[in-house]
Amino acid sequence: MYVKAVRPTDLNRNTEWFTYPGVWTTYILILFFSWLIVLSVLNCSPGLAWTIVHLSHFLVTYHFFHWKKGTPFADDQGIYNRLTWWEQIDSGKQLTRNRKFLTVVPVVLYLIASHTTDYQHPMLFFNTLAVFVLVVAKFPHMHKVRIFGINADQ
Amino acid sequence: MIAIPYVTALTTYFSYGLLFVFGHIRDLFRKITGCFSSNNLQGYAPICLGHEDFYQRRLYKRIRDCFERPIASAPDAWFDLVERFSNDNNKTLKRTTRIRRCLNLGSYSYLGFAAPDEYCTPRVIDSLNKYSPSTCSSRVDGGTTVLHKELEKHVANFLGKQDAIVLGMGYVANSAILPVLIGKGGLIISDSLNHCSIVNGARGSGATIRVFQHNTPSHLEEVLREQISEGQPRTHRPWKKIIVIVEGIYSMEGDFCKLPEIVAICKKYKAYIYLDEAHSIGAIGKTGRGVCELLGVDPADVDIMMGTFTKSFGSCGGYIAGSKELIQYLKYTCPAHLYATSMSPPAAEQIISAIKVILGEDRTSRGAQKLARVRENSNFFRSELQKIGFEVLGDNDSPVMPIMLYNPAKIPAFSRECLKQNVAVVVVSFPATPLLLARARICLSASHTKEELLKALEIISQVGDLLGIKYFGAEPKKHQQEEKMMKLE
Repeated sequence: MYVKAVRPTDLNRNTEWFTYPGVWTTYILILFFSWLIVLSVLNCSPGLAWTIVHLSHFLVTYHFFHWKKGTPFADDQGIYNRLTWWEQIDSGKQLTRNRKFLTVVPVVLYLIASHTTDYQHPMLFFNTLAVFVLVVAKFPHMHKVRIFGINADQ
Repeated sequence: MIAIPYVTALTTYFSYGLLFVFGHIRDLFRKITGCFSSNNLQGYAPICLGHEDFYQRRLYKRIRDCFERPIASAPDAWFDLVERFSNDNNKTLKRTTRIRRCLNLGSYSYLGFAAPDEYCTPRVIDSLNKYSPSTCSSRVDGGTTVLHKELEKHVANFLGKQDAIVLGMGYVANSAILPVLIGKGGLIISDSLNHCSIVNGARGSGATIRVFQHNTPSHLEEVLREQISEGQPRTHRPWKKIIVIVEGIYSMEGDFCKLPEIVAICKKYKAYIYLDEAHSIGAIGKTGRGVCELLGVDPADVDIMMGTFTKSFGSCGGYIAGSKELIQYLKYTCPAHLYATSMSPPAAEQIISAIKVILGEDRTSRGAQKLARVRENSNFFRSELQKIGFEVLGDNDSPVMPIMLYNPAKIPAFSRECLKQNVAVVVVSFPATPLLLARARICLSASHTKEELLKALEIISQVGDLLGIKYFGAEPKKHQQEEKMMKLE
């Protein structure tokens, strides 16, 4: 089964890979397989495994999408040094398909995690906190906003 | 359009994800152990901010031995490669005195002028004795010799333009000319796969830059209409000038630009065209005059033609050809002409002799033979590779053919396996190409013989079987099966 790769007009090499076919499926498959691995290694209940996947997904995506700024190579001479990855994708345009997909994924994970743990505390508290932080960070109004100067430049 | 097998796309993303995860874990340990050792910066800022060099340290370094291999002879069809080894995982690569004779499938010498030539080399040596290797001065001071004047005249005649200016370096021809031609208040529309030198020149000019989808004239028209109707950002005044920049052959794809349609669109909307023929000049077209001749475009329709002498002419430097007024303007504004040292005289003589050979002015037909041979070689090699089942990009007649690899692990595997069998190929990966689309780029030349190409095909086919990069499935077997079925019936 072949897919056509259309060249995007995004000049930022750090983010243009996200516009090619297959990214969304890979993302979902990675989440699913990490759930299977957590289940097999820790031998816990499925609900706890989903909670662990949800919380580690929160930590990883918060760090890479909303904390790390700039690009991992020096070719672009630092024009994106003040922007996090989330602010760089789609050249800063808000509410594109990619952004909507990435906002929906933590919410769906939250629903699965809370359903499979039967909405018990303390998992519910941590899950809710995680999804709240992630979704607020992805709002269009939060573009280039640094609350209390956290993660701002010098 | 590149057709990727869906499973390959998924596995490629997954492999890059794994590489990034491991790279970040290693960085974490590096930070932890770095906390303990004292850091003696003495108040100076660190050279690399944040994780700017992450790609360099964690991904590129692993496969560093596939790039920057030193060679010990002229880059003819066969050359001597110096072997290197590393004891600390590619952090330092030490050269040995061992030399390996390899088939050269990576040099840009499309017409074979990189090797000593019976017409060019004696003349180059004469000019070396007469004019010495360097003029030691810039063009306006004392660096214009008779050879430079003759070269500019020859280049202008060769291309069918009124006049030309010649610069010492091809990269500089783009990055120093664009800021002089256009400034703030102008608009540059460039193809999305343009070379780094064009991107640097465009950024340095201060003009607004817009990008159109690679080789899609309809999208160019859309972008032009949108930009002309909106005008300059914020003030909405009309643009001072609009330049559309395209290349003749795109070096990473091997395909030609759709010049006739793009020229028609630019004429309709009164935009200037800047054509960068770095790879196509001298190698394409019946008499080697580049992509204009191949696609039937009148050179007078292209406003600014730029090119380099490093590929087909076997020398160094770049040129810009255009109308007399344009070249006169460039001669008193372009910093590369006013301040940079002029081109080395033997290099200029090499280009003059190469142009004479191509045009047949040395009273032999070697030029026409070379052009015919490079075209034959490229068409033969490309069709054979496609029959074997590789995914090869590029148009017919183009001597540049990328073979798609996709997965990051296959990039060093292809390079190292081919080197074991004495074939030297160039592999390209992110960030020079998009993340998914890593490739091995083969550049053929007129000095490759049929036997060498057949042997290269056999070796590449074996390596392809080992790596599993035959994404399209071999054709001849289907034909044989059909023939067998027909014979049975």
